[in-house]
This record gives sequence, structure tokens and C-alpha cells, in this order.
Amino acid sequence: MRLPGHQISNGTVKMTAIDRRELLRRMLALGGGALATAALISLLSCSKELSPELPSDNVTPPSPPPSGAAYLAVARGDSPTTLVQRSISALGGIERFVRPGNDVIIKPNICGSGRTPEYATTTNPEVMAALVALCLGAGARRVRVMDLPFASISGSDYAYDSSGIAEAVGKAGGEMEVMTKMKFQKTSIPSGQSITSCRVYQDILETDVLIDVPIAKHHGNTILTLGMKNLLGIVDDAPSYHTADLSERVVDLNTVVRPHLVVVDAIRILMNSGPTGGNLSDVKLMNTIIASHDIVAADSYGATLFGMTGNDLPIVRGGARRGLGTTDLSSIKIEEIAV
Amino acid sequence: MAARKRSRRWRWVRLSVQTLALALFLYLLVAAHAGASTWLPGDLFFRLDPLTGLAAMLAEKRLVIPMLLGLLTVGLTILLGRAWCSWVCPMGTLVDWINVRRFRNALGHPSPWHLVKHVTLLAVLLGALLGTLSLLILDPITILFRMLTSGFIPGIDWMVTRSETYFYRYDAFQGFLERFDGFVRGTLLPAAEPYFIPSIALIVVFMGILALNAVRPRFWCRYVCPLGALLGLVSHVSVLRRVVDREKCNSCRRCARECPVNAIDSEKAYASDPAECIMCLKCVEDCPTGAITIRPQPQLARPELEGLTRRQVLGSFGLMLAGIVVLRLAPLLRGTDQRRLRPPGSSEQDMMTSCIRCGICVNICPTHALHPGGAGADYDGLWTPMLVPRLGYCDYMCTSCGEACPTGAIPMLSLTEKQQAVIGKAEIDQDRCVPWSQGVNCIVCQEMCPVPEKAIELEEVIRTNSEGLETTVLLPLVVRERCIGCGLCEHQCPVNGEAAIRVYPDQGGGQRQRRGRS
Repeated sequence: MRLPGHQISNGTVKMTAIDRRELLRRMLALGGGALATAALISLLSCSKELSPELPSDNVTPPSPPPSGAAYLAVARGDSPTTLVQRSISALGGIERFVRPGNDVIIKPNICGSGRTPEYATTTNPEVMAALVALCLGAGARRVRVMDLPFASISGSDYAYDSSGIAEAVGKAGGEMEVMTKMKFQKTSIPSGQSITSCRVYQDILETDVLIDVPIAKHHGNTILTLGMKNLLGIVDDAPSYHTADLSERVVDLNTVVRPHLVVVDAIRILMNSGPTGGNLSDVKLMNTIIASHDIVAADSYGATLFGMTGNDLPIVRGGARRGLGTTDLSSIKIEEIAV
Repeated sequence: MAARKRSRRWRWVRLSVQTLALALFLYLLVAAHAGASTWLPGDLFFRLDPLTGLAAMLAEKRLVIPMLLGLLTVGLTILLGRAWCSWVCPMGTLVDWINVRRFRNALGHPSPWHLVKHVTLLAVLLGALLGTLSLLILDPITILFRMLTSGFIPGIDWMVTRSETYFYRYDAFQGFLERFDGFVRGTLLPAAEPYFIPSIALIVVFMGILALNAVRPRFWCRYVCPLGALLGLVSHVSVLRRVVDREKCNSCRRCARECPVNAIDSEKAYASDPAECIMCLKCVEDCPTGAITIRPQPQLARPELEGLTRRQVLGSFGLMLAGIVVLRLAPLLRGTDQRRLRPPGSSEQDMMTSCIRCGICVNICPTHALHPGGAGADYDGLWTPMLVPRLGYCDYMCTSCGEACPTGAIPMLSLTEKQQAVIGKAEIDQDRCVPWSQGVNCIVCQEMCPVPEKAIELEEVIRTNSEGLETTVLLPLVVRERCIGCGLCEHQCPVNGEAAIRVYPDQGGGQRQRRGRS
């Protein structure tokens, strides 16, 4: 009998030159087998039956304020850091939201067009740094900051840098995460009216604490972009939301992703030609921070900075109609702080 | 036995050199899309490849300085013979390793089919002289690089991403996957998901080349490879050559039977044609009597095979011309349906005469906007880079393709220059555009437009909607003078299928001209 790769000479079995070939052949077979397995797995994962949608019944509304704390806090003054600290302490302190050991994600609005903060199209870096520091101070295990600027993974790094947020967050001890394809998971929206499912970043759904930090600015389609609209940056197919009912779809998304805390950055606001701006004459210095657990109330207050009410904005109005919060600012306890 | 043991060393030395060269080739490819800086140029193998350099210089009638590195390969070939093929060439390595079955050559004179590769070479060079580099698609380095970057890697990426996405739902895998993904994403695999139009065609061509090994071992290297033919010509004057000691030779015919490129003539005392011998040293170490050595030879080699006859040369020239005519027939359709967008700063002419079809730009483009052009590039522009905005856009802040291009077919532009280089002009399809056709606001294209003073403006109009209510609609309009054709609008346009805003080649003037009669 001849073994492959062996030759009998002078009565003893010798390995011959075929060995290398045989070895390579086996290596190839092994590699091929591994590839075939991987291909099988990936094909299986494509089939609908085997890829269950993420359950979205774990969505809980943010908890109401403890007695004595404000429902919504507004701070005005020169130092963004102080404004963040004071507004959150008026809500009952960061400890109300972040417990020691928590995993925290902060979602700013990072605009994809590479604008620096003075154009008021991206969230203020100082506000981000202050929030990261507060969360870490409250014992958060890790604080991640992420967005999907213009629905582009490859453009994220550049946008993170040019917004100044990467540097500020890094200094404060937070981590910038570039969103990665594998974490976008199909999630059903049981009460969806325009869309019944979305592809949401899984970590956003699973994190212990989600803090939504929009910049208040004009938007050509939805009139303004505030906290609710800012959540469009956690799905990987945001442009497709624009084909019809953008506002309704944003509300649908908000029914499954409920931030625990909303901090509206109104240090500088963009009055016109939003969301990407580009003209400093459209920028208005407001030196204001609005914070609340109620995303609808926070957005409603944000609207007043533009001379509107929450009910003027289809998204915010829709949010109130679906029970995500209140647009009635006279019914809630608002604490206004001048610093 | 002792002699055989000693000489077996070469087998392992050659295997190591081949492995190292292939590893370096893969490393440079991966380092380019990972954006890692390497102390070697990313196009090292294309520079070392004298065929791409020679053809590019013939086509352009000027020196292409970086490509002069090919002279190093030529120099080494003069010294060592056609060793490139069995020691360095990554394509040769794969063709060598992937053996379908074991072969024994027929005895007698080597087959005249070996001359086919000289016809290929002649065709490549004549084509280059006439100003088209189309046939460089037959260069082995370009074939392998293109297949890996636009066929193999996207396939692997797809499998990895799908598997990761599947398992990421389960908590148990998340920690590992996070580390794994962080490790491979943007390094081994491109950061953004790659899709390429001709992936399957490229893989099929490559598999076809490997499958030809079932007909003859190293079929590609023996009969087809134009680079091998070129180095074979140079080998006629090589210093080190294979010598058979007639005293020691016992005519066992083993060398002639097992030569991987069938270069040994059993009827001419087992001499080999230096143009065919790839210096793999297999016969040297296999010879039972140690009769074969590699030694410096003072006089020039006489080719064992007759060269191409005048008739064959003229015939291949005729074939070449006929081929060009056939290739040019297709362009009669040109201009009717083609949207040929080229990388920033490059012209259609550059693509024909300077582009060596290497695929480096396709590999490096971070948004996967550049694709090896298939039918859309016409047959004579096969595998030249085309920008396909629906699949990827030209990033406003990126100048990678021009920096990486080995021949300057894509000019090296500064960021400011590239931001003004017009790739094409966007045009709105009002029948598909959501605000125009349905009266629903969208603004995505306007929002995304990266030029400082946006090339898309919104016109506010009052429309009466289906419910009889008056609504304000923002209609996008392209300001042609500002548009640079980066394609971000087309890429992100939310309409399903073909975008409602599309970039077309800029033909100057206000209106797009149509070719042909109308």
C-alpha cells in the first residue's frame, strides 16, 4: 500500500517530494472547509427564519423625577460646562440617571459636512466633555460617544475630529466609537405608523443609560432638529426615511428608543439654512442648556428659542400624541437657572 | 543520497522566498486600504513588473519615473534568468501551489504552443505603441491584484459581516465580537462595506487561470503570460544558466518528464531553453546523478525553440489590428446609455494611455466609489476605474486615488485642486424626485452636498396636495457651476433603485450633448 506522500524504497517508507504538495493540498482543504463553513453561516444568517428581529418590548419610558427635582431645567450663562452641571443638578443630579458601574452612551449630533462648532451644526464639544465627566464622576463603567454622520461609516472619523468632539471627549475620559456594520440589527416597531421596523445600533438599545444631546438648529424638512430628530443618527439607512412622512417615521423610531436623559445644546443655535448651515450670520448665540428626562418637553422648550412651540413641529406634536411626553410646558415644573 | 539531501535545501529556500513575496504583496494590498503607512511603496509589485512600465512608457512616449524600478527586475533576470516567475511573482506562486493533478511531460521537443505567450506579449506592446493599454489586463500582477481587491476581499468581508451580525445578537458573543471586529475592521477588511460590480467576472477569470493547471502544470506561465515572455526574452542573455554534464547524465529523463514548464528537450541532451526555464532548481535537486548545475556561462544562449517567424509576427500584428477594430465596434453604441465617470482630475484619454489597469485606486478608495469598469467602460477600457456614485461617492476630503496611482493616470492633486476637479454634473430626474413628483419634502441631496456654497438649492413653492390642502414644498435645483460631480447626492438619494439625482459626465456648456444623430 502506498500512502500519499510516501514512497517505499529499500523496504523502508520514505517521505518524498510529494509531501509539500500534499501538505499544501491539505492546508487548502482545511482553508476551503473553514471558508465553506463561514459561507454557510453567512447564508443561514440571511434567511429570515433564522434571524429573529430583536425584541423591542424591553423599551421602558424614562423614570419621572423624584419629588423636589425639576421636570425640566433650563440654565443660561457663559460657561457651557457650568450650564450642564447646574441644569442636571436641578433635575436631581447625575446620580438620578447614572449608577456606579453603568455603561453609558451619549449621542450627540455630529454633522457630516466637516463644520467646526462655531457654525452651530454639531453639538458643542464643551457640553459633551462636561457630560462625559459627570457620568464618569457618578461611577460609570465606560462612557461612549457615537453618531453616524450623514449615514456614512467611512466618514465618521473625519466628522468626529472636525466637530472637536473627539478631542473633547477623549480628554474627558470618554471613548468615541465609530459605528460598525455588525451592530445594526433589525428591530420591530410594534406601534409604528409609517414604519414597522428599523435597523438600530444594538448597543444603543442595550446600554444602561442613553443620553441624547442634540444641538438646536433649523432643518429644511422637519422645521427644527432637536432631541427626537437626533435619534435618526442611530439607524444605518437614515436617508431612506425621507421618501415619505419623515416626521412620522422619526416618531416611530422614538417609540422604541427612549433616551433616559435629553440635554439640548442651545449654546449656539442655527436659525436658518439647516441642518448643514455654513453661514455664520445664521448662527445665534443663546448660551442656554435645556435638560429633561422627557424628550417631548425638552424639544418643546427648544422650539420656544425659535419663537415656536412644540405643537408647531410635526415630530414633537407626534411624540405627544403617542404618549412619549408632553408639549404643555405650563403643566410641568420648570426650573430656570441663571449662572 | 547525501547529494540529494544537500540540494533539497533549495526547495525550501524557494518556498520561503515565494511565501515572503506573496505575503508582502498581500500586506501592501491590505495596508493600502487600512491607510497604514509602509516604508515600501504600495505599488511596489507594479513598479517591479517591467511589462506594465514598458507598456505605459510606450503608450505615453515618455519616461514614467517610478516605473523604472522594473529595470531592477530586468537586471536580475540578466543575472539569474527568468527566476522572477518561480521565486517572486505572486501569481506564479499561486499557479505553482495549486496543482490539480500530477503530470509527466511528453518527451521530445518542447511544444511550440509556448510561443503563444510571445504573441500575447507582442500584442500588449503593439497595442501600447498604438496608444491603448487595454491588453495590460493580461498582466499577471494586475490580474491577481484586481481579483483580490474587487472579488476576494468583498466576498470575505460579506461573510465576516453577516456572521458577526448574526452572532452579535447573543450576549455571549458580544465581548469577543467587539474585539474581533475592532481588530479586522479598517485593517484586514475595509472600513466601509465593499461592493464591486464585476466581482464575479474577476473571480471567474482567476479561477479559470488556476483551472488551466488541469490541462498542463503552470499552464498560465507556460503558454499565456506576457510578463513571462518578456522576461524569457531577457533570459537569452542571462549569465547564470542551467548546464547538463553529459559525462554524469544517465539519461533517466526524469528532468524532462518533471520540469514544471516543460523547458527541457530530451532530444537535445536535456538542454533547456533559457527563455522557458524559470530557474526553479527542481531538476538540479532531483537529478539522481547530480549532472545538472546552474553556472555562469560566458557565451550567449542559443534558443532551443525557434523564435517567432516573420509570418507569425505579421500575423499577430494583423490580429492586433483586427482586435482593435472589434473593440472599437462596441463604442458605436457609446454615448447612448453610458455614464462614464472617471476619478477626479483624470480624463478619458488618460484612462486609455496611462492607466495600467492595476486596481490600486479601486483598492484604496475609502468609499468604494471606484470600480473596475466592465461593459460601461467599453471593451478597450476594460477594468479602468469608473466612479459609480450609487455605490460610493467621491469623498470631499480625500485625495487617495491620485496619490496612489503609479503612472499618474489619476493626477496627484492637492486637496484644494481636487475639491475643484469636476467629475461630472448632477442632474435631477423630476419624475422620480420625491418633492418634484409627490410634493413631499426630502432635502437629502441639498443637506449632503459638500461644496461650501451648496450646489443644490431649494426653491420654496406652494403645492396643493391630494387632500386639497396647500403645502410648502422645497424643490431641489442643481446649480451647475458649483457642482463638482462628487456623487454624494446620488449615493444618498433615498429613492429606491436608480437615484432621482444622477451625475453625468460634464460635456461643457449648459446642455448635455448627445452623440450620434437625433
